[in-house]
Amino acid sequence: MTVALATLRTAFLEAWSNRRGFWFQIGIMAANDVAWVIFWVLFFRQVGTLKGWDTHKVLLLFAILTTVSGTGLGLFSNSRRLGELIAGGSLDAALALPTNPLTYLLTRRVDTALLGDLAFGPVLFLAAGDPTPERALIFVFGAICGTVVLVGFLVALGSVTLFAGGRGEQADLGFQAILIFASYPIDVFGGLTKLFLFTAVPAAFVTGLPTSLVSSFRWPVALAAVAAAAFFALLAVTTFRIGLRRYSSGALWTRA
Amino acid sequence: MSALLAQVHLSARRAMRQRGELAVRVAFYALILVIFSALWSAATKANGGSIAGYTAHSLLWYVAAAEGSVIATKPRMIEAIGWDISSGAIVTEMLRPASVVGLRLAAELGEALVRLVASLAVGGVIVWLYVGPPPSAAGIALFVPASVLAVGCNLAAQHAFAGAAFWLRDARSTWFLYQKLVFLLGGMLLPLEFLPTGLADVAKALPFAAMAYAPARLASGHVEPWLLAVQAAWLAALLACAGGVFRAGERRLEVVGG
Repeated sequence: MTVALATLRTAFLEAWSNRRGFWFQIGIMAANDVAWVIFWVLFFRQVGTLKGWDTHKVLLLFAILTTVSGTGLGLFSNSRRLGELIAGGSLDAALALPTNPLTYLLTRRVDTALLGDLAFGPVLFLAAGDPTPERALIFVFGAICGTVVLVGFLVALGSVTLFAGGRGEQADLGFQAILIFASYPIDVFGGLTKLFLFTAVPAAFVTGLPTSLVSSFRWPVALAAVAAAAFFALLAVTTFRIGLRRYSSGALWTRA
Repeated sequence: MSALLAQVHLSARRAMRQRGELAVRVAFYALILVIFSALWSAATKANGGSIAGYTAHSLLWYVAAAEGSVIATKPRMIEAIGWDISSGAIVTEMLRPASVVGLRLAAELGEALVRLVASLAVGGVIVWLYVGPPPSAAGIALFVPASVLAVGCNLAAQHAFAGAAFWLRDARSTWFLYQKLVFLLGGMLLPLEFLPTGLADVAKALPFAAMAYAPARLASGHVEPWLLAVQAAWLAALLACAGGVFRAGERRLEVVGG
């Protein structure tokens, strides 16, 4: 844990070293998020309510989504790049270190722009999420569960590169898919698509369940969120470990 | 001119060979269409069958056309151009006996046309299966040149926007802002009729509308040929702007010694 925190701190300091760029990128991402807020406000201004969703609830979903993506993709930036790193030979340098390679890779780099999401999400929750101490606690709980599912899903997909080769295209597609599906109210999807969102692309666990919990807390839903987080964490670690056993280095790191 | 046409041809062939990238992009587009089909179908159903003059049928054709026209260009092109400028890599292109921005635009156009055709073919099938044929044959006939003009406007505007890197050195992240302007004021996410009246009028007068709204409006069954004239005027203006920005930027690099 100490090594992970130290690596994360180094990654953060690396991003912080270019202060002007740091704040600029955070500002740009916040502006990007504001554009989505405008989209949803305009949408519900025309539509009214949609299957139990209104501006208020969708902004809560968006607050959770930006917090989750800020944590999962901002603080653990390599989670979406694992396949690319494996294909590019960067794994070799991590394997030579006396620490868990997956933990090291995940904490090695922060994405400054996505830290803007991490700042924006809680602010949006405070502004539009009817914050009370109880709701804030559930918001944090939901965001943590959603982050674990997102990172676990992306790491598992990236680790497929250890078995199947390629340049991590499957992880890129999975990343796009989960973020897009997680950006929309789950209830607009029906039948098979909904089943898809609880299984193959678990976007429902990233934003759908956490939003539902903050709106009205129910223990079975909370337990489902924890179970999904545990499952995807286990899936990620297992896939990476098994893949690592099959991995044979391309020795690309010796180029350095 | 022959150099530019050769560049368009070469880059189109290159894009056709990069099947993996093309497949990922088309799959991404199909995914968006599936989501928007569900969203807009539910929304129109909840509103008695139409919103702001659009039925579910016309809205889905609108979305397919708008997304397809925008997704044909690379989303992070501004970042890539900005990087080439700030790193100095662009200097090698200045040695060629041809316009830097002209060759870049030709290369991007070749690739974008391949992606446009592939995306619209897949999108057309998905929407057709979902809601039936396009609302108007005349509208679709006008949509074809409109989508090409939309891609041209988008490419020219991105080059003009990215040219700021000649002065700012790091304009890479501005692609986020540009993209959102196209999404909202260009009518990619929502038809401009969904915006408040004053804002909709402003948006229709901006170049972003030529990149998504114009082709999508035509594909959604609104036969308004004057939209093509607006797009052509914007294309000429944006090409002149991109050319001017790059010429001034290149002069600056020569003076500073980039």
